[in-house]
Order: sequence, then C-alpha cells, then structure tokens
Amino acid sequence: MSTNSAGITLAGRLPRHKLKNRRNARLLLLMLGPSALLIGVFVVAPVIYAFYLSLTNTTLLGFEARNPKFIGLDNFKYLLGNGDFLSSLGKTGIFIALSAIIGQTALGMISALLLKNKWMRAKGIFGAAIVMPMVVPEVVASLAWASMLYSGPEGTVNMITHLFGMGAVAWLQQYALISIIVINIWRGIAFAMIMFQAALEDVPDELIEAARIDGASALQIFRVVTLPLIRGPVFLYLLLTAITTAGIFGLVYFLTQGGPGGDTQLVALFIFDRAFQFSQIGLGSAASVIMLVIVLILGLTYVRVAKVEV
Amino acid sequence: MTTVTKTDVKPSRASETATVRRKLRGTTVVSRALQYVLITALAVFCIIPFGWLIATSVDSQAGNILQWPTFTVDHYVKLVTEAGTLRLLRNSLIIAIGATVLTMLLGFIGGYALSRFRFRGRRFFMFFVLLIRVVPPTATIVPLYLMMTKMHLNNSLLGLILVEAAALLPLTLWQMKSAVDNVPLEIEEAAWVDGSSRVAAVIRIVFPVVGPTFGAAAMFAFVGAWGDFLTPLVLLQSQDLYPLSIGLFRAFSGFNQVDWGLLTATAIIYMLPPTILYMLVRKYLFKAGLSGAIKG
Amino acid sequence: MIRNRILSAVALTAGGVLMATGLSSCAAEAPADGPATITVLAHQQVRADAIKAEIPAFEAAMAKQGQKITVKLETDILTDAQFSTKITQQYNAGTAPDVVDMNSAGMSGYAGAGYLLPLDDYLAKWPGWESFFPITKAAAKAADGKTYALPHEMGVQSLFYRKDVLTKLGIDTSQPKTWDELIGRLQKISAATGGPAITLPAGTAWGGGSWAEGFGNIVAGTDGKFFDESTGKWDVKNEGVAASFDLFAKLTQDKLLPVQDLQNPNPWIATKYKGFVDGSIPVAGQGSWGWKYDWGPSGSAPIEDLTSKVSTWNFPALDASGSPYVTTAPGFSWAVTAKTKYADASVKFIQWMSSDEALANQLVAVGAVSPRSGLDSVAPYSNEPQLLEAEAQLTKAVTVPYADGVDQISMAVQKATEDILNGASGSEATSTFVKQATDLLGPTKVN
Repeated sequence: MSTNSAGITLAGRLPRHKLKNRRNARLLLLMLGPSALLIGVFVVAPVIYAFYLSLTNTTLLGFEARNPKFIGLDNFKYLLGNGDFLSSLGKTGIFIALSAIIGQTALGMISALLLKNKWMRAKGIFGAAIVMPMVVPEVVASLAWASMLYSGPEGTVNMITHLFGMGAVAWLQQYALISIIVINIWRGIAFAMIMFQAALEDVPDELIEAARIDGASALQIFRVVTLPLIRGPVFLYLLLTAITTAGIFGLVYFLTQGGPGGDTQLVALFIFDRAFQFSQIGLGSAASVIMLVIVLILGLTYVRVAKVEV
Repeated sequence: MTTVTKTDVKPSRASETATVRRKLRGTTVVSRALQYVLITALAVFCIIPFGWLIATSVDSQAGNILQWPTFTVDHYVKLVTEAGTLRLLRNSLIIAIGATVLTMLLGFIGGYALSRFRFRGRRFFMFFVLLIRVVPPTATIVPLYLMMTKMHLNNSLLGLILVEAAALLPLTLWQMKSAVDNVPLEIEEAAWVDGSSRVAAVIRIVFPVVGPTFGAAAMFAFVGAWGDFLTPLVLLQSQDLYPLSIGLFRAFSGFNQVDWGLLTATAIIYMLPPTILYMLVRKYLFKAGLSGAIKG
Repeated sequence: MIRNRILSAVALTAGGVLMATGLSSCAAEAPADGPATITVLAHQQVRADAIKAEIPAFEAAMAKQGQKITVKLETDILTDAQFSTKITQQYNAGTAPDVVDMNSAGMSGYAGAGYLLPLDDYLAKWPGWESFFPITKAAAKAADGKTYALPHEMGVQSLFYRKDVLTKLGIDTSQPKTWDELIGRLQKISAATGGPAITLPAGTAWGGGSWAEGFGNIVAGTDGKFFDESTGKWDVKNEGVAASFDLFAKLTQDKLLPVQDLQNPNPWIATKYKGFVDGSIPVAGQGSWGWKYDWGPSGSAPIEDLTSKVSTWNFPALDASGSPYVTTAPGFSWAVTAKTKYADASVKFIQWMSSDEALANQLVAVGAVSPRSGLDSVAPYSNEPQLLEAEAQLTKAVTVPYADGVDQISMAVQKATEDILNGASGSEATSTFVKQATDLLGPTKVN
C-alpha cells in the first residue's frame, strides 16, 4: 500500500487543525499500517507463496523432502490429467450448483416471501428456527447430521423415510454427495433468506397489493412484479454464495473425510488430503492456485457488479 | 451494500394480471393454511437435527440415535469437572476473545482512517480488501502452514489469534469505515472547536454513534474465530492447545468408542455463545442490512 | 500534536502485538550425562499405559547410575492417519517430542526426510542389539542402509475365527487349504447369518491398514515378485497382484465382506469391535496383537473367555499349488528425533525399554511378539502361549513388502479396493491399481 506523503489530506480540514502532510502520512501509517501488515503477512503473502510452492516438488516426507526442486508446471500438468483432481473439481461444481445456487436460493426465497406476509403469526419463532443452522459452528452442524443420517433403521432420516415405506439407507455411504448437499442447503437457507428479506423491503407493498386486487396469483405476482425488482441483489447473492460454498471444508471433512471412495472429495478436501495427509505440499499448493484463480474471477465479478461505493 | 433500482411495473404486464379472475375468500383461507404448513415444514427441517443433540446431552442411555431421554445431568457435570473439556473451552475462549479484541482494535482505528483520510490508493486498498474476503482459507492454508512454521508461530495460540484476526479484518475494516462515514464530520469538528482533543472527540462523539455497528462487527469476529475448524486443525498439534472444534472432531472420529453423552453436552455448550449472540443482535442485523457480512 | 501522539500510541500498541511474535527458541546440545528431560509421544492408549508403567523404574535405574533423566509421556490418542499428519508437521517444524513410539511402516518416510536420528553408532556399541532377530533388523533399516528405529515388537498376521460360533453353525474349523475351500465355509456362514462372514481391511476408510493388514497379506502369499529387492522396483502388473484383487472382488460380489461397514469412517469399529465380538462376522484377518490390543480384557473391545472362543488359521493359498502361510507385521518401533537436545538420554531410554522385563511387560500389554530372542522365559511374556506360538511362527512367516514406495503402493491399493467395494471387478481394480501406482511412484520405481 502506498503511503506516499504527497496527496494525503485529512478530510474536512478546519484552518486551525490543518496538519502538515508529513505528519499526516505518519499518522495514517500508524493507524492503517498494523491492519495492512496483518492482512499482508497472513493473507496476501500465503497467496503469493502458494504460487511459488506450486512450481516446486516440496514435500514433507521421504528423501525428496531434503531438497525441494523447481519443477515448472509439472504439478499443473499432473493435476489437469489426474482423474481424482478433475472429479473433485466436478464434485465441487455439482455441490455449489445443487446446494447453493438451487437449494439455498429456492428455500431461502420461499422463506423470505412467506415471512413477508403481514397476516402471518409467530414469525419470530419461524425465523429463529430457520436461522439456527447458520448460527451454530460447522462442527456442531455436522455432528447433528451424523445422527440424522445414521445408517441403521433407528437413524432419524431412516425413521422418517420408513413412514413412506422405504427401507433403511446408509446415507453417508450410498448417497454421500447428495447427503452433504442436503446438509449444506439446510445450513444456508438462512443466509439466502436474510439477503432476500433485505431486498424485498425495497419492493413497495402498493405494487403487490395492486396486482393482488387485479386478481394475480401469488406465483404471477412473484414472477411479474417481485422478481424483476430484486434481480440485482439475487444475482449478487448467487455470486457470493458460490464463492463461500467453494471454500467449504469442515462441514464435509467432519462427516466423511472425503469418502467413501472420494465421493465427497471436494477441491478443499483434495488440497488438505494431498498437502497434509500425503505431505505433497507442492501439489497441494498447485491445486490451491487453481482454486484461487476460479474464486478470484468470481470475486472480481462480484466487486464489479456490486458497484460498491467507497 | 447494494441498492435496488426501482422500476415501474410495465402497464402491459399489469393489464395482463388484471384479467385473472378474482379469488374467493375460501381459497384465501386454504392458501394461508398451506403457507403455514410450508413454513412449519421448513422450520422443522431446520431444527430437527438439533433434537438429537439436546436429547442425548441429558440422556443417561446416550447413543447416536434420536430417542426419548432418560433424564440426567451427568454429562454436563462430567463436562465441568473434567479437565480435558474445560481446557478445550478455555482455549476456544482465548482464541476467540483474543482475535476479536485484536480485530476490533485494528479494525476501528483502520476503519476510522479509511473514512477520514483522503490518500492516493485508498480506493484501491478498499477494493483490494473486499476482494481478499473472497479468498477461501482452504486455498491459503498450505503455504500459511509452512510460513507459520518458519516464523515459529506454528502450534501456538498467539499464532492462531493473528491468523484469525487477519482473516476477520477485511470485513471489520469495511464495517467500521462505513459506520464512521455515517458520522458527519461537522459534529466531530465542532468538538475540536470546543477544545476537545481529536482522540477525545472520537471517543465522545464518534464511538457512541458507531457503537451498534461496532458491537455487531465484534460479534461477527467472535463467532468467526469461535467456529473455525480448518485453521486450528492445521496450525495446532498439541492437544493442550486444541479448541472445542478440534476436541469435538477428535472425540467423534477417534479410534475408540464415542462417549455420546459428553460429546453432545460439549457440542451444546459450544453452540451456545454464537446462538445467544445472534439472538441478541438479530433485530439489529435485519435492519442494518449487514446481512452480507454473515457468511465467511 | 498531543492528540496525534495519543492516537499514534494506540496504533503503536496494536502494532506491538505483532512485534511480540518474532520469538524463537534455539536448541543447544546438552552434555551427555547431565540432567535431562525427554518427552515421549504415544498415540494409542494401550501403548501409552504400557510405557507409563515402566517410566518410574527407568528413572530410578538412571538415578542409580548417577544421571537424572526425567521422562514426560505425552499421550495423544489418534488414528494412524491423524498421527502421521500431526507428527509430520511437528518434525517439519522442529517441535516434535524427543522419542516417538510409531508404527514401523511409516518410519521410512520420516527417515528419508531427515527427521530421525540414525541409531547405527549407538546400536553398534550396544550388546543388546545382537539378540534381535534378523527379520527385525532388516525391517528397521531404511532405504539408505541406515537404521533409524529400534523395533520393540513384531507381529504375526493370520485369520482369527470364532471357534464357538462356527462350531454352533456346524462349520468345519480345520485349517482351510485354499481360498476356494474357505469361501465355501464363509458362504455357509453367510447363509446362516444372512450377513457378511469375514473382515479383511479394504478401501480408503481403513487407511494404511487396507494394505498392511488386508491386501498385503494376500499378495504376500502369491509366489510373485511384487517387489524386486535387487532393482528396488515394484512389479505392479504382477500376476499375484491381479489374483489378489480377483479374490477381493469375489468376496465382495458374494457379499462375504461387510462392504458398507468398510466404507464408514472408522470401519474397524463396526467390523472388528462389533461384528467379530458379537459373532456376526466370525472371521477376521488380524495380527497377533488381537489377543490383547483388540479383544483382550483391557483391549478396545474385550471378548470374554477369549482363548476358548477364538482361534487362528493360517491364510489359505490362492490356488491348490500353494500352502497356507502367516505373514509378519513389523509392529511399533522407537524413533529418536534428529533435532533432540538429549540424544544420549533418549537412546538410553529406548534401550532400557528393550531390556528383558520392560519389554516383556509391554509385549503382553499390547499382545505383540518379541522382536528378539531370549524372552520366552521372561514373565509375563512366558505366560502367553498364543504369543509364544506366534513367535515360533515368525521365522517361517512371509514378509509383506514394505520397501521404499510402500506408502504410494498402499494408497493405490486403498483406491483399487475401494473400487471393488463400490462394485468394480477384479480386473477393473487391477487396472486402477496399475494406473494409480505408476502415477504415484513415478516411472523409475515401477516395472
């Protein structure tokens, strides 16, 4: 960050409090410097270091650990031809699409619309219930679902499906990816709901009321009146949720550790596995770099589209 | 963070809806009933997984399935009398409080500077910080681990606090900068004219106004550091230093049989602080439009 | 001015928090016979308890010799995978304990990276080393020819079965000659119980055990040259490898393996600790440590009256031309950290732990076979007929290869057997294995 003394001014100077530029520069450095340093050392530097490590065969085990070598783009060549990595990319895509883009958005929108009804009672209780999954730490969320999805007939989900005449299913083995998708939908409804509630506040009630008096059905009102007005925030939400969902680790690792047979090995888990289970730091870094590039593209789009005022 | 451009509904669409036949009162009742059913189903879906946690934590026959508990408080008694669990709790508190204090101190000072100073690169810095927020910790954890080892900050609570604070700071800087923006500079300047020092003016004038945002930002920081799993998983190797998230994971995935009663009781204690904090600031949360801050 | 100074001071304080972190500690070599405090890490409860019991005697013995050595035992109960992640990070960071009790199978990776102290000089001067079995000494040697670990136990792996359950079902309990014969019996068990009949570690959830306690035992019995000692290469296309995958596929297709349990996290709990204990999965591939560590009175899942209910078979041969066999399992070793401040004290400790009585106590605690001769008359080891019998088998046991590259072979086996659990055929699994192993080992280590 540039703290060049030229051009630094304190906003809204009164003549008596006009400060010298150099002093301002030092003050700014002291006030913003620690933050910049902290972010620089623990966030920015690792990103840069990841690019460097991705070009080496750094490992923590075996004779190669003694002198890591620069190997160019070999790690990337390996990853892009490696079935495990490509399938982890694919699974991450499916995970984001089904859980965040479709599931959370649909259920979050439904919740927000239902809770917008003036006639509805006990909104506070419904709202609190929906917010709970988001509020608790991810480890607790996973733990709660470990019992829900227990494979025996006494598992909660199996008891529910039994009411519909289905036999007991080992959800985390037979339908592992679907299971973690459902869990992530469950966890993310509230975030979508809150985002949409904020957006819906900007939709004038009179418009809805007018359409209703005209006899439009709820679905028509949503499609024709509401949705066009909140299109912007919805798009921003989709970008934001895609970004955060790409980084999910603990929720899945706690329950399946990527298994069975790599069925739930999202990119985040692939990176962890390679870097810390098999000590292939270089390879894990290369996978991190690929993930970073994808996420940063989404992030840049977000920053652009959001037109945030600075 | 975002503004919606309001556009009028096109007349053609409006007339299209006008042709739809008016509904009877009976259908309204049915429709409302259906909507109640739907929202109840959603709410039940959201809270049912917690049923097992709560029931098992007070069940003397604790197991990994949902069942009516044979009431006991033994698991909670065990929790507060057993050194292991208390140590996990203590470590979690040190990490979360340490990271929150550091984040809020730096975030407030930095946010104030970003709001009140005009300097070259300010816009760039703000956008950069926003972009950094999207970097998932999973993507930096591998190099971060090696760096921490080289800086001798590996396997230390202080190291973890610094990392957590760095991850939380971008959001806090934005929150505090926006909050200070909302305090008119004229009020602050008026205080200077009255002879207050700049610091005194900040404390007397600015801080009370940004207080609610400060509180909410502190809550986000605390909840973020409290709930983190990946960073302590990688950066801590001594069990003396593990926070609750790692302790729960180890107890759940360990080699030996799981003590479900103690595990669920610990999980309940672990989820209480964020739950209470959220409930406290919920009203404010909805109004302040800070919702974008919740995730991440 | 003053205002700014105060503001600066606040900012400085914040910056100070950052500054207070550059502290590092420097390790200096301590005198050989001065007071020493060494930390010992164990990651399995039974082993930790066994070590703890010996510490006071060791400290007293050292005090008698005029040296004050304090031993601090660090117990962190972890799965093999969690342990290897943790200890690798500690070694790399230079924060590892002085002495680590670890599975010998993982030793070569740490030795290669230079994390372990070469013990050759110490062992050459130590008369006790003479009594170690050649097979143990060979197991302790790393790829560079140096010895980085002192093995304190050996294991013999075979098939454990529930005599009581099989007798009740009216099934022959004599040694099966071939797998076909055994599969016939397993099918009878399965027909009677309606469930799986045999536990053999397979798939990714069991981790390294899928190789060392599962597939490795089967492939070791094939004549083949899976690993060529002279070239240091793995013959991944070896016929024995393909035949072994065929066996796993057959056991899966016939529903004789507990497929779902094997895919669960911690698969050993549902299979070995539940299925074998309640008799519903009455046959299991298992090392001699099963007598204590798993099913003994203070083991993970005790079986009452163990020795009357449980007996062992040798592994049957894959075809009629072979004969039944047992395999060795290297068990656990002591490793001394290269960066330790107290190398001499650490070595004294591990040597003392290998002395008659201390060793006998530990062996019985975990149910391991002695790594050296001369222990068959030392109580309590001498009171354990199952362990003595296993020790006698040690000399004619087949060795599961664990040369350099075994970690990668293990990973490839986990993946390939996981495919089988998911329904792949033997030949499909074989090609998965060949591809994975070649991929992971690189062309220089594969034939």
